[in-house]
Amino acid sequence: MKINLAVLLGGRSVEHEISVISAVQAMNSIDAEKYEIYPVYITKDNFMYYGECLRDINSYRDIPAMLAQCRRVYFAAEGSKTYLYPHKRGLFKSKPIALIDVALPVVHGTNVEDGALQGFLRTLNLPFVGCDVLASAVCMDKFATKMLLKTAGIPVLDCLLFSQAGSKDTDAIIKAVEEKFGYPVIVKPVNLGSSVGISRAKNKVELDEALGLAFTFAARVIVEPAVQNLREVNCSVLGDADEAIPSECEEPVASDEILSYSDKYLEGSSKSVGSKGMAGLKRKIPAEISPELKKKIQDTAVAAFKYLDCSGVVRIDFLTDRETGEFWLNEINTIPGSLSFYLWEPAGIKYTELLDRLISLALKRHRKESDIVYSFDTNILSTAGAFGSKGAKGKLGG
Amino acid sequence: MRLINYVLCAATVVAYVFVVLKSMHIFQLNSYKAATHFRWLRKNIGTLVPSVLMLALGVVGIFASHVGLAAVYVLLCAGMVSYHLPVKKAKKPLVFTARVNRMLVTCGLLLIAAVWIALLLNVKYALVLLALFCALSPLAVVLANIINAPIEAGVRQYYINDAKKILRACPNLLVIGITGSYGKTSVKYFLTTLLKAKYNVLMTPESYNTPMGVVKTIRGELRSTHEIFVCEMGAKYAGDIKELCGIVRPAHGIITSIGEQHLETFKTVDTIIKTKMELADAVEGKGMIFLNGDNDLIRANMPSGERRTYGLSPENGVYAFDIRVSPSGTTFSICDHGNVIRDFQTQLIGKHNVINLVGAMAAASFFGVSYDEMRAQLRKITPPPHRLQLIRKGDVLIIDDSYNSNPKGCEAALKTLALFDGYKILVTPGMVELGQMQHELNREFGERAAGVCDFVILVGERQTKPIYEGLLRAGYDEPKIYVASSLSDALAKAYSLDTDKQKIILLENDLPDNY
Repeated sequence: MKINLAVLLGGRSVEHEISVISAVQAMNSIDAEKYEIYPVYITKDNFMYYGECLRDINSYRDIPAMLAQCRRVYFAAEGSKTYLYPHKRGLFKSKPIALIDVALPVVHGTNVEDGALQGFLRTLNLPFVGCDVLASAVCMDKFATKMLLKTAGIPVLDCLLFSQAGSKDTDAIIKAVEEKFGYPVIVKPVNLGSSVGISRAKNKVELDEALGLAFTFAARVIVEPAVQNLREVNCSVLGDADEAIPSECEEPVASDEILSYSDKYLEGSSKSVGSKGMAGLKRKIPAEISPELKKKIQDTAVAAFKYLDCSGVVRIDFLTDRETGEFWLNEINTIPGSLSFYLWEPAGIKYTELLDRLISLALKRHRKESDIVYSFDTNILSTAGAFGSKGAKGKLGG
Repeated sequence: MRLINYVLCAATVVAYVFVVLKSMHIFQLNSYKAATHFRWLRKNIGTLVPSVLMLALGVVGIFASHVGLAAVYVLLCAGMVSYHLPVKKAKKPLVFTARVNRMLVTCGLLLIAAVWIALLLNVKYALVLLALFCALSPLAVVLANIINAPIEAGVRQYYINDAKKILRACPNLLVIGITGSYGKTSVKYFLTTLLKAKYNVLMTPESYNTPMGVVKTIRGELRSTHEIFVCEMGAKYAGDIKELCGIVRPAHGIITSIGEQHLETFKTVDTIIKTKMELADAVEGKGMIFLNGDNDLIRANMPSGERRTYGLSPENGVYAFDIRVSPSGTTFSICDHGNVIRDFQTQLIGKHNVINLVGAMAAASFFGVSYDEMRAQLRKITPPPHRLQLIRKGDVLIIDDSYNSNPKGCEAALKTLALFDGYKILVTPGMVELGQMQHELNREFGERAAGVCDFVILVGERQTKPIYEGLLRAGYDEPKIYVASSLSDALAKAYSLDTDKQKIILLENDLPDNY
């Protein structure tokens, strides 16, 4: 019997296409002997489709044609089991497509990576790969991440948070930023990944523009000082709160001042529809940093991962100052592009094995949650004792 | 006149439906055993009276074609219907299982056959035939069961084959069988909890331990994500364990104890031993059999294959020692083939619980769970409510064993109480429903309690007299006995007792209000 694995991709997110690339890559690497793959594509307008053609990256060139070959589906939890059903109207209930054992969400960005999809899967009682609701939600919110990590003593850059409501008074924001940080600063929407909406401002005019851009993507925006002599270093972490290991560090090479969306995902994509994703990006592995700094970054990455109760594989992005050797944790990607597989290959963990480990971690978490022994399924309201009269047994009421 | 006969026939059919449903209910409660069913019928022969009356009237009715008689007949049918109406709030209502439905269909077919034959004859005789049929309907269910026997066997075999097929599709699934006269359900829970530290484990739920129970678990619960299947195996007849092993093919086994459980069906102790050892035979050459080495019958009948023994005696491969009780439970150390691992902590109390834990731990360790990983899992194991459940209520410690009511359990509870340090109070209404031995067993209970308890509170005067006698016979101080009128009176007394030691109250058995 193979393990039925639902791979979820797409979603109502600006990183929809990146998710498709990452998910197709993952599906091509899953151990077909052990897992039966059920790709479930969430369209930009929130319909769910299932079909074999979803496993082929070329299908996505013409989405309507692809969907015509797929079936609309929905998930349903029935007792301890979760089924994938074809969406059908009629007198009789349709037969399920499959009993799903575990879900692998390969989705990026708001509405999916931020705890929303995780909550949905939790409600379905379906074990899923990756961070749980809280860690997903916290890591998607750059401000929440900073605030929490500060309490753990993990280095993060100071920041100012502005909300859309207050954004009408741009002058006040600019004044506050100038007083606190001066220039240059980085402006970011609080909850978007993949560099969307992020820009660097060297002066008042640029700051004004940057705020305008950021507010089109999110209702809350943070501003933080730009790091001088910036070198970005990323480190992936694999495991759970019990045991977690860091990967090799990488140094993404920017063609602009900040690693932009086009750097991250459109680079090297001219030939076949961006099929390489994060893996196709220009980068240096291992990062050219001192062994001491590498050790510090890896330790910090693992500490942050455990502190925020992450699970599965995450990519933690750091900012470092080439001159001083200082470093700050910038953000945690709970579902990193390409699932960061390219960071694990140097350590000898092949993508197929990485995916296998991720699924085991998902099952482990599900098991830990449900292994309470001797939980008698009694309805407290059904016992006479709850209404004041005395039951024959159970006077002490436990 | 023919119309009246049709009405009468229809009334008879309606009566038949209700009688059959009621009979089916009884038959189900009698576990579909014909002998038991007949014994029940003989005991409740009165239930057949209306049927016989009906039959007589039916015979008279056709020859008389009398309207008055017909009216009486219909009334009688109505009476039968109301008599056989399903009891509301029955303790165990009729469950319409697939098997029951199949038998009901057969009963229906029998009726149709009867009606058909009757109509071929003459509507007059039809009534006689139907009345006869209705009168005999308590037997119809038995007949249906006999007719369906080959079908049922086929259905059963289909499910067994299906379960086997599912298991064959999971070649990497590790199956562990657990049997024993006592303790198998506990060991199953303990082992599953320990294994969950590392593996995805499925166990047979509650006390599902028959072929059909196991098959139901496999068909309904087994998932491709499971790595280990812990299967409880029960037996009442020789060959039962062998049959179960044939279905699930365990790689490893645990025999928790051999005792005189189900002696009435096994006939001899030898058969019990042989049956339990069928599990050892099944895993021989394939895997490990774990045995409770403290059990006399097991020690005397050691299987020849690869085996490991466990228990409290140092002669076992894995044994527990340095067992101490405290208000938070039991602490013990383990020696696994010479390696000593100290201070395991569990909320469970009682010697049998420690033995069962050691068995589960010995097996879990064999399957790759480290003793260190087990510590966290042990904390998750809690006693079922009211079964030697340790409860802290302020300064007072309560051992709630109110579910128990048998002499062995009472003895074990007193032994457990003896392990504690403090002012020991027994609160008990005594044991009931033990037949002729009741007086004697309660007296013995009193004698034993005298050696352990600092104070004894008896709940209810009448049925605790033998305990009182036993206490006095053992030379117990009369002022240290209090006879309470109710449990709340007893507890109030227990709380008010003055002592500077830790107060420990053993609540042994609890009787419903009708005693």
